[in-house]
Amino acid sequence: MILPIAALIVGILIGTFSPISIPQEYAKLFSVALLASLDSVFGGLRAAAEEKFDNTVFISGFFTNALLAAVLVYIGDRLGIDLYYVALLAFGLRIFQNLAIIRRYFLTK
Amino acid sequence: MLSIRQGQVSIALVCMVLGFMLAVQFRTTQDSKSSVSYQRVEELSQRLLQTEKERDGLLDEVNRLKTTSGQEAQSQELADLKMGAGVVPVEGQGITITIDDSKTKSKAGENPNLYLIHDDDLLKVINELKAAGAEAISINEQRLIATSEIRCAGPTLSVNNIRSAPPYEIKAIGDAKNLENALKMRGGVVETLQVWGIQINVKPDANVHVPAYKSTFHFQFMKAAAEDGEKQ
Repeated sequence: MILPIAALIVGILIGTFSPISIPQEYAKLFSVALLASLDSVFGGLRAAAEEKFDNTVFISGFFTNALLAAVLVYIGDRLGIDLYYVALLAFGLRIFQNLAIIRRYFLTK
Repeated sequence: MLSIRQGQVSIALVCMVLGFMLAVQFRTTQDSKSSVSYQRVEELSQRLLQTEKERDGLLDEVNRLKTTSGQEAQSQELADLKMGAGVVPVEGQGITITIDDSKTKSKAGENPNLYLIHDDDLLKVINELKAAGAEAISINEQRLIATSEIRCAGPTLSVNNIRSAPPYEIKAIGDAKNLENALKMRGGVVETLQVWGIQINVKPDANVHVPAYKSTFHFQFMKAAAEDGEKQ
């Protein structure tokens, strides 16, 4: 558990001090991608807690989820459909579900 | 304590990426909050563009007016001066006054001159008209200009060096009511003249035609001098 948290802190530090910033028009896409990755991480944690963690599934899920979410929102933007909110809702729900499951494992162990 | 045995490294890796994304997103949101929104920027720039266009249009108009209005203003001024100088015929509302010698016979021992029209009678009338705001005056079709004289010339009257006999017709352009009232006021010119039986008839008119000064200007001694402000 310590390694992921340490990695998270390192990532935050890198992000804070790196000169990269997202252009205004892509901020929306990036936020959806961020949510997707958050969901993936919680999903991974849950899988690890359930002891059925698959490395390939996790890594591929992380990147494809983030990319797909961003692409979907982008396309929705072009078509005039607000897929942004759909993605937010879907990922939000899943995050809470995963959190609930993790919490249970956390409590029972 | 929840222990993760599987895939610690990959989760750590993903967590690092997630942390990085979180930080970047956090910074971006912070930036966008502190700076004005994109829509606002667009709106403002559009307004600026519009205002600039308006300004350019107005500037063009100013330039156009500057180049043309010089002539226009001059011609307008010239027309005003011509009207004031009396070299063009003018018309407008005003009054027509006819004055004729008295019909009453002079009694024995009385000066018959009292019953005739004299230059000073006319001058009084003219003066009253001018005081009442007459803009153009003519006597028997002779336009009164700055150098016009009104003078007895035997039994006749000389205006602009043209002689005419009674009855005299005076035309004046101005506020008809004002002019009429000025002449007819109690103790005024008309009343004084009527004491002597002089026939004076004041008639307001919606459209009085005052002719132009017919002679030419010929200045022998006068020439334009520099204006006061320009010497020194």
